Amino acid sequence: MITRRDLLKVAGVGAVALLAAPGAVRTSFGAEKKSIEDALKEHLGKGLSGLKESNLINIKAPTIAESGANVPVQVSANIPVDQVEALYIFADENFNPWVATVELTPMNGEVFFATRIKLAKTSPVRAVVKMKDGTLLAAAKEVKVTVGGCG
Amino acid sequence: MATIGRAVVRVPKSASKGEVVKIQMVITHPMETGLRKDKKTGQLIPAHYITKVEFLFNGKKVTTLHTGAGVSKNPYFAIKMKVTESGTLTIKYEDNKGGKWEKSAEINVS
Repeated sequence: MITRRDLLKVAGVGAVALLAAPGAVRTSFGAEKKSIEDALKEHLGKGLSGLKESNLINIKAPTIAESGANVPVQVSANIPVDQVEALYIFADENFNPWVATVELTPMNGEVFFATRIKLAKTSPVRAVVKMKDGTLLAAAKEVKVTVGGCG
Repeated sequence: MATIGRAVVRVPKSASKGEVVKIQMVITHPMETGLRKDKKTGQLIPAHYITKVEFLFNGKKVTTLHTGAGVSKNPYFAIKMKVTESGTLTIKYEDNKGGKWEKSAEINVS
């Protein structure tokens, strides 16, 4: 799903990155690294304070990742899937902390999703479960990265 | 270079009615963020990543994935699905450059 906003964002990021030296912090022209707060607001309409910590959500990810380019993440939740609308994955320190949105249906049988993600550096990996009643349940797991993956 | 968009899908060949099965797939794709530079030319490599993956079973929506460039190169995705009848799982996926692909697999339910 690409919106006009996304396209503009990509174009903006590209323009700034062309000017920046390799490895330099990209700060000018507003194309800064997006904060987790902004990313949450963009995708969920609420920031960190709108999330409810839940121990029903289980994130399986390594404590220390050898490479940030390929970090396995598995999310499952002990919540009936027919009460769930979607599952979100965020990585706080990434240039764009939003990683994926998973729209679930009762046909899934259970709340489960696994993938491999990039981590720019040591960062919490967050899973947010959006319930049909609008409640946002969340869990986080800190993953230590020795070599970043968003070069 | 490997063909972009080629996918390998793994589903159980057979399952019992009401069982929750795991569906796994790997797509061959560079997943470029648009922030990386080509080391030889110094030019920025344009963003190129999977944006959407749809899982349908017998035409009914099971899961829709929206992804950004934060997913690793050659993305791996796994979901679960409760099966009550035999049928075809169809996976449709696309990237930000207009690439569109489809892959399907049969599941026998007894």
